[in-house]
Amino acid sequence: MKKKLYLCIQLLSVLLLGACNLQKDIEVVLPAHEPQLVVECYLEPGQPYRLSVLETVSYFDTPQIPVVPDAKVFITHNGRQIELPFKISFDEQYQKYYTHSSTEIVSGKPGDVYTLEVWDGTGRRVTGTTSLLQQVPIDTIEWRYNSKDEAILLTSFQDDTNTTNYYRYLVHSDSLQEGTNRDIVTDDALVKGQQITFGSGYEFEKGDTLTVTLYHIEKKYHDFLNSVSNARNSNGNPFGQPSKVKSAVTGGFGIFTTLVYDRKTVIID
Amino acid sequence: MRPSFLQLTLLLLFFSLTASPPLFAQQTGKISGYVRAADGNGVLPGATVAVPALGLGANTDSKGFYTLPLPVGSHTVQVTFVGYQTATRSIRVTENSQTVSFSLEPASSQLQEVVVEANTLKQKFNSTQMSVDVLTSREAKLLPALFGEVDLIKTLQLKPGVQSGGEGSSGLYVRGGGPDQNLVLLDDAIIYNASHLFGFFSVFNPDAVHQVELYKGGFPAQFGGKLSSVVDVTQREGNNEKIQATGGLGLISSRLTLDGPIVKDKATFLVSGRRTYFDVFTRQINRLNEDNKDYSPIPDYYFYDLNAKLNYRLSNTDELSFSGYFGRDFFTFKDAGFSAGFNWGNKMGALSWRRKLSPNLFATTTLSGTGYQYTISNNIDVFTFKLTSEINDVGLKTDFDLLLDGGHSVKFGAMGTRHQFTIGNLNFNSQDNSLAIEAGSDYEATEFGLYAGDDFEVNPQLSVNYGLRFSGFSSGGKTYTGLEPRFSAKYKLSESLSLKGSYAGMRQYIHLATNSGATLPTDVWYPSNQFVAPQRSQQAALGISKLLADGKFLLTNELYYKWMHNQIDFRDGANLFVNDNLEQDFLFGKGRSYGNEIYFEKIKGRTTGWIGYTLSWTFRKFDGRNGQEDINDGNWFPTRYDRRHDLSIVLLHKLKERISLTGAFVYGSGNAFSLPLARFPFQDVEGRDLEVVPVYSDRNSFRMAAYHRLDLGLVWKLQPKRGESDLTFSVYNAYNRRNPYFVYFDEVEDEQQQVPVSFKAKQVSLFPVIPSVTYNFKF
Repeated sequence: MKKKLYLCIQLLSVLLLGACNLQKDIEVVLPAHEPQLVVECYLEPGQPYRLSVLETVSYFDTPQIPVVPDAKVFITHNGRQIELPFKISFDEQYQKYYTHSSTEIVSGKPGDVYTLEVWDGTGRRVTGTTSLLQQVPIDTIEWRYNSKDEAILLTSFQDDTNTTNYYRYLVHSDSLQEGTNRDIVTDDALVKGQQITFGSGYEFEKGDTLTVTLYHIEKKYHDFLNSVSNARNSNGNPFGQPSKVKSAVTGGFGIFTTLVYDRKTVIID
Repeated sequence: MRPSFLQLTLLLLFFSLTASPPLFAQQTGKISGYVRAADGNGVLPGATVAVPALGLGANTDSKGFYTLPLPVGSHTVQVTFVGYQTATRSIRVTENSQTVSFSLEPASSQLQEVVVEANTLKQKFNSTQMSVDVLTSREAKLLPALFGEVDLIKTLQLKPGVQSGGEGSSGLYVRGGGPDQNLVLLDDAIIYNASHLFGFFSVFNPDAVHQVELYKGGFPAQFGGKLSSVVDVTQREGNNEKIQATGGLGLISSRLTLDGPIVKDKATFLVSGRRTYFDVFTRQINRLNEDNKDYSPIPDYYFYDLNAKLNYRLSNTDELSFSGYFGRDFFTFKDAGFSAGFNWGNKMGALSWRRKLSPNLFATTTLSGTGYQYTISNNIDVFTFKLTSEINDVGLKTDFDLLLDGGHSVKFGAMGTRHQFTIGNLNFNSQDNSLAIEAGSDYEATEFGLYAGDDFEVNPQLSVNYGLRFSGFSSGGKTYTGLEPRFSAKYKLSESLSLKGSYAGMRQYIHLATNSGATLPTDVWYPSNQFVAPQRSQQAALGISKLLADGKFLLTNELYYKWMHNQIDFRDGANLFVNDNLEQDFLFGKGRSYGNEIYFEKIKGRTTGWIGYTLSWTFRKFDGRNGQEDINDGNWFPTRYDRRHDLSIVLLHKLKERISLTGAFVYGSGNAFSLPLARFPFQDVEGRDLEVVPVYSDRNSFRMAAYHRLDLGLVWKLQPKRGESDLTFSVYNAYNRRNPYFVYFDEVEDEQQQVPVSFKAKQVSLFPVIPSVTYNFKF
């Protein structure tokens, strides 16, 4: 009798465990996909002209970096065309790969316009324009502790009343090579012309070294970042609608923008 | 709007019918009156008053009142209602109208209520109204339910033409319409968000509710304001004889209802409450883990409902009633220096005065207030964040029932509602006032409607119900008005075969701002204004009904086609929470839905139940006119709930005097959904983690696996010393089917190098087999 009871309990637990496995692999057949060019280019004054040109791949293709070696890349600034030849390079500071680069350093003043043109042997062509924005300085960085000795970080700056502005705010712990603690992309719709403060959770400790970066970004960069985030979030969200990526270039996917920022490093004490 | 040819034709028909002298007037009389419970349980809405010999009958309305046109002469009238003994009386009908009221004795057998006969099949066969389903709380309580939580709305999903939004959802998708297009009424007042816990449970406590009527088409003229369906829920009246308590203890909630007389034969009351207790368990778990540093506490969650109903008979001609509802869901979370709360719910109060002005004319006037609100609040250090959206209505309506000689039963009336909208009201402040962000929009609007309709028996073969509704809406200096023609007809080919047809034009002036495809507590209502025009629809339906085996079974087939205009969706990435210019994110399109519904039912005997099968198509098109963004490149696309095949089989079997068995099987073609076709790597400004960005193509171009599920139930009547009690056992998803809830693409990583090596598709299911038991009592 005891043995029977034991068997029953065993059986029941197997059934219950089986009942709780609510995720499984399934077979999905995707229609054929025509690859499109993907450009990622950030022009930062003081850094060389460089970018990556890749292409889209069918979702289930084997993961590898889809480079396009025959892609020709030109950037025009103040009427002068600069060619960026194909050369794979790596940036230690930002841990980034580039497929095309030039030795020429990006320069310019706020309001300057840059245009991009990329094409390849199969006739695909991507174009884009961007302009250099004015830097927005960080006014104050402060922190406060809760009862558990965890600190909250607050960064404030002044928004310009006369223009519609878009910002990206990043916080890094210890060094820029580590991942970001906080990444906020926003506009000034609700806080036009006001002092803006970005906060955090109680996530920092005494002695932490924090690097705070405030980017003043273009609307198309703001829209691109938000659409990328929405598209990534729609994969796996039962309530979400699929979101299309709003590229800042025409003829393919990607971003072509300038980078203007203020950066400060603080040690939490 | 320019009236279409069909609308003009119907309008002409409306006036020609009202102007023409009634046919057969000289041979027809009529009886009308109330049907009440002799045990003091108040009036009985949904009771059937019929003359079986003629196959004629009528149902009592929500006030327990019926009208039945009959040929002059002597007839045997039968009155039936679930759980009560049938009353039979011989009545001599003259050309003059006469009042005949009935009082039904309760059935003696305890399991009598297993016999589901809210509506006799013959009467349903004879009714002009088509596309309507009636469900009583008593029926719903017998059927198996998820976590044992009886839910009338979810039971309605078992009827043909009605789909659920997804596993466990209480959202109703009626004939291709969205859940925001249902007019949900509780005792004539609107309930805006009829669900708890993100749609898993509806707000209707089965102990407080008497029945629900669902109109899927052929809408009578007294209903308006939403496109796709009317869900008319009636609360129970208090017992007139003695004070009684009804309640239940379930897996996740308990309920208790008290009702009885205040002044015998004059006034009754009913109060009812229900509350879940997940939070009791989660608090205990949190307490046990208090010392564990890595433990993140589970937030508190619970919901409750309160219902009340008061009835007061002022005189033989006047009756007052009050209905009230209040419900809230709460999420709360607290930690050092941080607290978050999220609560939402409906409130409703309606005062109704029913007066008999003459033997032929009744007036019901209702003053009601209703509202829905949600609040999200966060406190972190010196900062407070609070986001609220709400809609509040005050409405007055008056409805007249006029019985005219010659087989006319006329309804006419008027309604006016003042809406107040608060959308995305945000307050973000710090204690030292260094930060103050405010946002939000307030709107006011007035909605009104005038209607008249006539249910007219032209001759024993042909009866028509024709009506017209004039509706309007005014907000922000913009006024919209429109005519909504309604028409339905029945033609009896023989004693067991009838044809029915209907047409209904509908308008909807307030819109739900949602891009989730499901109803969430954070969805907000938005008025029509100069930027957002009203939604419109037309629906035509054609049906054939056949009584089989001497009226034991009824087989119905209905074909429908629905056109929808000014349908609403939102721009990709639209912020629906805090957005002072929400109208800029609206997208407008059109929709169409068509299908065929087969319904086979048996409502008498030891074994009862139904089989419903729907074949349907539902599409939307947003082609980006007026420079807007399009969806799906402006091409037609199926909605998520476009379900090709939908089958439900429901069986109730009285096994023994005290034991009944129930089962429900559902099968539905897989939901349409979207998947990314391609991807690209994205490095961002800092390249450490390569992100995979999905590239989506056509909207809803993939299909999930089919959905099917079997639920089993057993009701075991106990024999307590006092009162009644039972144990209800339920097994949800009895064969433990892994039904798809959603599908996503996942990265497979190399464990050592932590780089993706491949991608695969994964399917997530929500509910495995879930057994439950509920103890119900009444004394």
